[in-house]
Amino acid sequence: MHSFYGYRRPQGLPGVRNWVAVISSVFCANNVVRRIVQQVAGTVELTHPVGCSQVGLDLELTAKALKGVGRHPNFYGVVVVGLGCERFRAEELADSIAATGKPVEMVVIQEEGDTQKAIEKGVRFAQSLVEQAAKQKQEEFPLSELFLGLKCGGTDATSGIAANPVLGWVTDQVIAEGGRAMFTEVTELIGAEHVLARRAVTPEVGQKILDMVRNMENKLKLGTGHSELQNRSALISPGNEDGGVTSVVEKALGGIHKGGTGPITGVLSYGEPVGGPGLYILDCPGHDGEAVTGLSASGCQVVVFTTGRGTPTGFPGVPVVKITGNTSTYERMKFNLDFNAGEVIDKGFTIPNVGAGLLQKVIDTATGEPTKAEIAMGDELFCITRSYGG
Amino acid sequence: MHKALRIDPRDNVAVVLTELKKGEEVLINTETGSIQLTALSDIPFGHKIAMSSLASHDPIIKYGEEIGKAKSTVEPGEWIHLQNLYCERGRED
Repeated sequence: MHSFYGYRRPQGLPGVRNWVAVISSVFCANNVVRRIVQQVAGTVELTHPVGCSQVGLDLELTAKALKGVGRHPNFYGVVVVGLGCERFRAEELADSIAATGKPVEMVVIQEEGDTQKAIEKGVRFAQSLVEQAAKQKQEEFPLSELFLGLKCGGTDATSGIAANPVLGWVTDQVIAEGGRAMFTEVTELIGAEHVLARRAVTPEVGQKILDMVRNMENKLKLGTGHSELQNRSALISPGNEDGGVTSVVEKALGGIHKGGTGPITGVLSYGEPVGGPGLYILDCPGHDGEAVTGLSASGCQVVVFTTGRGTPTGFPGVPVVKITGNTSTYERMKFNLDFNAGEVIDKGFTIPNVGAGLLQKVIDTATGEPTKAEIAMGDELFCITRSYGG
Repeated sequence: MHKALRIDPRDNVAVVLTELKKGEEVLINTETGSIQLTALSDIPFGHKIAMSSLASHDPIIKYGEEIGKAKSTVEPGEWIHLQNLYCERGRED
């Protein structure tokens, strides 16, 4: 059995980092958030382009994502910054985070008078939270307390034969020890849904998987049906094609390897907190940022991200471990990539052999070893999904 | 010799593990012995090589599942990619 060192929280799974998050409830507060973070070490910035002029499901997705990210166990405490007149109120966000028992402070720009006053108040709140956070010590937790996010991006043909099977082996180990894992990118499950439905724990979960993929495919058809958009209709990128991936089904079949071989426990909606142990699928499109934001909003403490072509992105406060199955990509992008699974191809090493190395990397990362994206201060992956027409 | 990987016994394509030039030979290990093919064109690293003859609209199998169908007849050793594979799923063109 494996274990890692993390930070106990008032409820739920432990954190693997101990940041103070500064979150805007609406984009109008982004500059204030950024200035606060610039003045207080130990804080991370969570800014975004939404929070107002939205209705219905679109606004609900924003609310669920911001609440989920605010409740994330890697954050010791949170400073919420709002403007005052926005649709998604700062109070609603702060109250939802406070319900988990963690410390939350709130600054509303229109109540303070101006941005300069809001920045000063936010800096004082953030500094006080950072001082409290610094007093907390790491404790040992079993692997059953880990919730792993699974993601791929910049796929090439090595992803399906090396990086994803190696990550799948790690997923199987985490689940076998009572932990949790989740993959997503429903746009990129198209063509593999029958394989996933066969692995569902109940016929109901199997049907949910089939419905989720069918809904996503129907939404895509609505978006690409117009004749002027025919050249915008391909789901796989030119980089995928250059890398040897020809069809979306081929990409899907290669991609689902990262979810290992075990039964699928359930399907989560965007921003829905995870339940008991097991393997889950999150209902979210394949955009890297929207997907990692969704994985984080459901509580994944560590995200493992496979990439054949190489991608440098990170998420504020959540370590994103980059692994490639393409040794030439690894050699070129070592500055951005954490782990090379290419020895499966180059040297004929077995999947469990390379997988054991990746599992250790995940445990070391959970315990505090920074990822390349954390060292480079990558934060591109915080992108809240929008309603794709229903 | 160059190598290619057949991922599942049901597959009719293999993934080439080094870049192939037209006319180069490639070896694919299977449960029942190895198969040797000649690349009918240049094939980039990580791309697919046909292991058997296919008629137009025959399924192309990788990971043990259909990833698309043949646009035209395909000979063993042919590069399988956008020029000879079509897939109805996830695209409207």
